[in-house]
Amino acid sequence: MKKSAVYWLLLPGFVFLAAFMVIPIVLTIGSTFVQENAFTLDGYLHFFKDPYFLKILLTTLQVSVVTTLVCVVLGFPTAYYISRKAPRRKGILLALAIFPLLTSPVVRSFSWMIILGRKGLINNALVGLGLIDQPLDILYTPAAMMIGLTHLFLPLMIISLVGVLENIDQDLLKAAQSLGASRFTAFRRVVFPLAVPGLVIGAVLVFVGSLTAYTTPALLGGKQRVIATFLYQNAMTLNDWYLASVIAAIMIAITFIVVGVMNRMAKTLNPKG
Amino acid sequence: MALLTLDQVSVAYDNQTILKDFSLELEKGKLLSLLGPSGCGKTTTLRLIAGFLEAKQGKFLFGGKDYTRVPVNKRNFGFVFQSYALFPHLSVYDNVAFGLRMRKVKDRDVSERVMRMLEVVNLNGFEKRFPQELSGGQRQRVAIARALVIEPDLLLFDEPLSNLDANLRVNMRVEIRRIQQELGITTLYVSHDQEECFSISDQVAIMNKGIVEQLDRPETIFKYPATEFVARFIGFHNFIEFDERSDAGDAISLKVGGRLFTATANPGTVRPGARKGAIRPDDLIVSGDTGQEAANALPGMIKVSTYLGRSYQYVVETELGDFTANQEMETPYFSGQRVNLIFPQDKLVLVE
Repeated sequence: MKKSAVYWLLLPGFVFLAAFMVIPIVLTIGSTFVQENAFTLDGYLHFFKDPYFLKILLTTLQVSVVTTLVCVVLGFPTAYYISRKAPRRKGILLALAIFPLLTSPVVRSFSWMIILGRKGLINNALVGLGLIDQPLDILYTPAAMMIGLTHLFLPLMIISLVGVLENIDQDLLKAAQSLGASRFTAFRRVVFPLAVPGLVIGAVLVFVGSLTAYTTPALLGGKQRVIATFLYQNAMTLNDWYLASVIAAIMIAITFIVVGVMNRMAKTLNPKG
Repeated sequence: MALLTLDQVSVAYDNQTILKDFSLELEKGKLLSLLGPSGCGKTTTLRLIAGFLEAKQGKFLFGGKDYTRVPVNKRNFGFVFQSYALFPHLSVYDNVAFGLRMRKVKDRDVSERVMRMLEVVNLNGFEKRFPQELSGGQRQRVAIARALVIEPDLLLFDEPLSNLDANLRVNMRVEIRRIQQELGITTLYVSHDQEECFSISDQVAIMNKGIVEQLDRPETIFKYPATEFVARFIGFHNFIEFDERSDAGDAISLKVGGRLFTATANPGTVRPGARKGAIRPDDLIVSGDTGQEAANALPGMIKVSTYLGRSYQYVVETELGDFTANQEMETPYFSGQRVNLIFPQDKLVLVE
């Protein structure tokens, strides 16, 4: 095949993405700056002045950031363990790790309701043990959303990290130790920086996933709104498509900013990654 | 007294014993090579000394202290890996500086020592490069600089040249020997390449199945192998199992079948009781003159003749089996020709 002919293979995917993603996004974002045939920033000014909207935005960011951090903390040791195993074992462990992704978000959220509710497993156990008098409010709080989202997105973090960790030559750790580094220092100075690319990919996936998640926050968050549920409410219940578009544009902007910042951080931590 | 002593150590992994009651000594400032086929335990020995493996039994003494349980990062040994194991996320400078920073050396001294070491390995000007921007030989030199800059008490090489092409290998081994002698650093070197080991070592230990078959100066091993394994490993292709041996002063008489051979008494033949004769193809003489019975001669017939460039190689069939001999000559013998194989007295050695 001629070299230029290879590019034709890209065409179907390119056309699909352009027609159904790039153009609609551009049109949606463009429409937020136009009202009654004139350029305007009213939609954004309105959004950022309203404390109710800002609180939703803040809650969403909080939930997303905490979920991402928890996924990093839980995912790194797990991924490191899996990456050190023989190929067969590794396959089995990875399959187990991605299992949550294979279940329906609705079913998964209902299970969490049973566990987290006022009469749920955790509260019953704590009250039964006499550790607390009144059941804790976990369900329908941001904490419940974080738990549900962590459960959902941890596999993405683990897969991204295993991908980079399994390619780190074990001799590098030995080399660092022979040069005087303790196991911990060798990990911090060698394994961690080399894992940064996977960490960034995992963090972006988890963060963006949490930011845009709908089902899990809708079912576990109760009256707590996040941007995605708020957007749905505006579009479908209140029929305010203009505000819905503004919210969508803000979500896209946040996503781009986060990806940009993370890549920046990755560059400083691992210049050759 | 030896700087390094392995005293009857045993190492096993996955329930498989690699080394059993293994002992080794190395003197300060010397370069000792461990040479042998893969699976002979040479790399295990090196990793044990480095501290990557732990001995099940036995002791490892270094400088009079017990190092058996000292962790890797407290040993102050430099290790050069076959894969180089350079940190890909660090520049050449930071790679070399790694060990010094672990030792909390002041920044100014770090810079001075790193630059001096890069000069020793001829890499000045490369400090800002990253490992993936270097050639194999340059990476190897960074790895050596990184191991040397910490002023290690012992330098360990694990097949450092096997990933380089043939020309570079020869240059690098000269480099390694030069640096080792310049700094007078005690070194243990592992390789499966005989020429490489012999060319750079003060002493060579030939290993097989977890034991040292022979430990000696390269010249001694080359001329006087102690065992059949060593002899085969270093290119003695011809062996005769003698039935009788009697020593009388400078000469040793050997009998096999009805034939009588004589060997000169030398370090290669003194091993008492050894009755297996060995000789190199280069030392065996093929004589076209079959008329008279010469001393140490064995009649035979040319079976195969091949051209090696400088010489011809003959496989000669005799009543004692096939022998291989290399000989420089103008017109070669032809297949089927009757010849006499002459075993020069001083070239015949006796091995166990």
